[in-house]
Amino acid sequence: MKPWSTSYIVAFMVAALALFPVSVLFSLASDSTQIFDAYNLEVLANTLLLMAFTALGAILIGVPLAVILTYVQLPWKKFWLVLLAAPLAMPSYLGAFTFYATFGYSGELNALTGIETPPFDGLFGASVIMIFYTYPFVLLSTRAALSSLDASQVYAARTLGMSLLTSLWRIALPRIFNGIAAGALLASLYALSDFGTPAFMGLDTFTRVIYVEYNAFGLSQAAMLSLQLLVIVALVLYLEAQVKGSQEPPGRHLVFWPNKKQLLLIISGMFPIVLFAIVLPLAVFSIWLWRDGFGNFELSYAWNSAQASLLAAMAAMIIALPLAHASLKGRAGKFMERIIFVGFGIPGIVMGTALVYIGLQLPFLYQTLGLLVLAYLLRFLPLAIGSIRTATENLDTSMVNAARLLGASRQEAFRRVTLPLTMRGVIAGGALVFLEAMRELPATLLLGPTGYETLATYLWRVYEAGYFGLAAIPGLLLIFISALGLLLMLTGERFNDIEFNKETQIK
Amino acid sequence: MHRRTLLQTLSLASLAGALPGLSISALANSIKSYSVEELPKLEGELTLYLGRGEGGLYEDVLNAIKKRNPNFDLKIRRGPTAALANMLLAEAKAGVSRADLFWAVDSGAIGQVAQAGLAKSLPTDITAQLKPEFRFHNWAPITGRIRTLPYNPTKVGSKQLPTSIMDLPNTDLSIAWAPSYASFQSFVTAMRLLEGEAATIQWLKAMKQKAKKYAGELGVVMAVERGEADIGLANHYYTLRLKSGKPDANLTLAFTNNDAGCLINASGIISLTENKTAIDFIRYLLTTEVQSYLSSEAYEIPLAGNNAPPQGIPTLDTISPPNVDLTKLADVRPTLTLMRKAGVL
Repeated sequence: MKPWSTSYIVAFMVAALALFPVSVLFSLASDSTQIFDAYNLEVLANTLLLMAFTALGAILIGVPLAVILTYVQLPWKKFWLVLLAAPLAMPSYLGAFTFYATFGYSGELNALTGIETPPFDGLFGASVIMIFYTYPFVLLSTRAALSSLDASQVYAARTLGMSLLTSLWRIALPRIFNGIAAGALLASLYALSDFGTPAFMGLDTFTRVIYVEYNAFGLSQAAMLSLQLLVIVALVLYLEAQVKGSQEPPGRHLVFWPNKKQLLLIISGMFPIVLFAIVLPLAVFSIWLWRDGFGNFELSYAWNSAQASLLAAMAAMIIALPLAHASLKGRAGKFMERIIFVGFGIPGIVMGTALVYIGLQLPFLYQTLGLLVLAYLLRFLPLAIGSIRTATENLDTSMVNAARLLGASRQEAFRRVTLPLTMRGVIAGGALVFLEAMRELPATLLLGPTGYETLATYLWRVYEAGYFGLAAIPGLLLIFISALGLLLMLTGERFNDIEFNKETQIK
Repeated sequence: MHRRTLLQTLSLASLAGALPGLSISALANSIKSYSVEELPKLEGELTLYLGRGEGGLYEDVLNAIKKRNPNFDLKIRRGPTAALANMLLAEAKAGVSRADLFWAVDSGAIGQVAQAGLAKSLPTDITAQLKPEFRFHNWAPITGRIRTLPYNPTKVGSKQLPTSIMDLPNTDLSIAWAPSYASFQSFVTAMRLLEGEAATIQWLKAMKQKAKKYAGELGVVMAVERGEADIGLANHYYTLRLKSGKPDANLTLAFTNNDAGCLINASGIISLTENKTAIDFIRYLLTTEVQSYLSSEAYEIPLAGNNAPPQGIPTLDTISPPNVDLTKLADVRPTLTLMRKAGVL
């Protein structure tokens, strides 16, 4: 057995740290009096229903869109794809906030036009919002499966007299089933761990009830609920690992050329989705901005958001490098990387609960920026690792070998060959962490230092005070930050297959 | 633009005492009103835990105080009142102390913190500024609010209004309420203490059959005014605020008799340190300027000095509030359990 390299030691330490919140939850939950009561059952039912509706809705919207965006020759195809994938980059709580404020008796819609709509809340409201912001998971995963599909069999079925829809249903669907399932599972995982949407919609899911318990400082009860939530998270992640996308040897693609009428129909079908998911929040925040102006918004909130996020991003970039390195090295490293990914699966509210308790035990950390940055780091480090790994995987190892052959030490080869080549991945990873942390709500709410108001917490505060109009600036800024994140994703790995009919890369 | 006047009075030198609300009868009263002009300047740093203040009006007060005292650095941690009270308890248990002051909008939360022995005694000149029934040695009430039954006279017509809150579900009036609202939960806690658990859960279940749910109590008052319901349950100032914007509003206040339905609750402040600045800060909140601002803008009942109560409610001596120890209202947990059992949350 070789002695462990530095990268392994770092990876091991971070993996231990990632598991730390979970162990804190276990010790906290051990003093919980009630493991499960009737009310708990209702919370579980609400959560599972929300997950199921989200997955179902995301499939109903995502799959047809994927078929259209893969096979149908639309004008400005790339533009549509980017537009329809955009909701993925927006935090769903912005949508929840604006929908909640738009509909209902005292909603904006009634105030502006006199049309009174039923209120938009509860299970229905939360499900609709979740579907609007998670269907791109299904869209992208299905699209990836579709574009590796050989259309010859569909053509064969058609020549044997099967209608187009039947042939798609019976021949294409079974082969893309895994792609759809993977996307739907991701969508339901998002619904499971999101805090803002159920909170704004007044639906008692695990995340909302954990927050209520935290507010009553029933930390042990909050920890118990957190563990129950984590069990479901683990289950979804396990299922997600089971549905592997099947790769077929690339063949011909289906291509449809719609006529004018069909084109109009398709575009008018896609339009409302974009309208609700993106245009409505933008419009509502803009109206508020125009009507209520800046209110008592202070630029320091934006600066606070940026400061904590920047620290987290920098730390992530420094730590992620050796971790990505370790994960490519061997099985032990791979395993540790898996462990670190646990952090990404821990919902923010759960992370916050665990770290508040740690802070109370270690007063020098309590209500400090350091603790908040640690929470961001534990949650978003996997994003940085992933992005660096993608960059590293595409490296040609012979360059490093050549450097070693020419007498460079291992460290020097890393510094002079590997590092410059992976820098793009590092920067992109850091930027992803930065943008995610900027928008984080629940952990920031629980862990922020006193008087430390960020864009997300300010939005929460004006919501609680009922001064919706004051949410305009932070809302628009958060949308802008999300747009930056989208740009970053476009240049990153997820959209590399945006132009299909190119050579599909065999990974 | 009262907001501006408050800022001016607090931040610019103004004529002390030359304020409306100081009537001749006030001079006969032994309670002294102070003006900010008479107070020492605040210096140094304080951390205030601020339970969610009435829609930003408390923020105005704090901003005015900050503006007046340039050498004073006030750090504010905001949150729901109950959450902050729990936070203070958890911090005390862990031996971490971060807050100097706690301004809560509910006496229950104050009671919780005071019972844990975290509240420091206040000098007698502070307690002497408060109305006799609101004098406590370790916390200072700031403003009061009354539970009321706002009703729509056109819709109620000649129907009999209940004089007891327990009879409300037995009338044929349609009802609006906001069970998730913190003030409402304090009121249910009071009912639990006065009438017992069984009667309270029965009342909640009976109400559930008849009442329409709203998110907050301003919503309740608006619904009654529109005629969506005959009668509602809400803190008094929501009705007054609605009427200030709409003087001819179809809305009248009714009060029950000697039960939880006309509970008087108070917002108040605790000092968690002996620090002189913290004590002086409390003095600022009891000044005529702040008290009359909260009365005229937030329609809350001033509890310090001789400041006129908001227009449109009967004076405190004509109301018969129940005899509940305000500090016992802290026990919200069993109340929430009860409300969940009744299926109203």
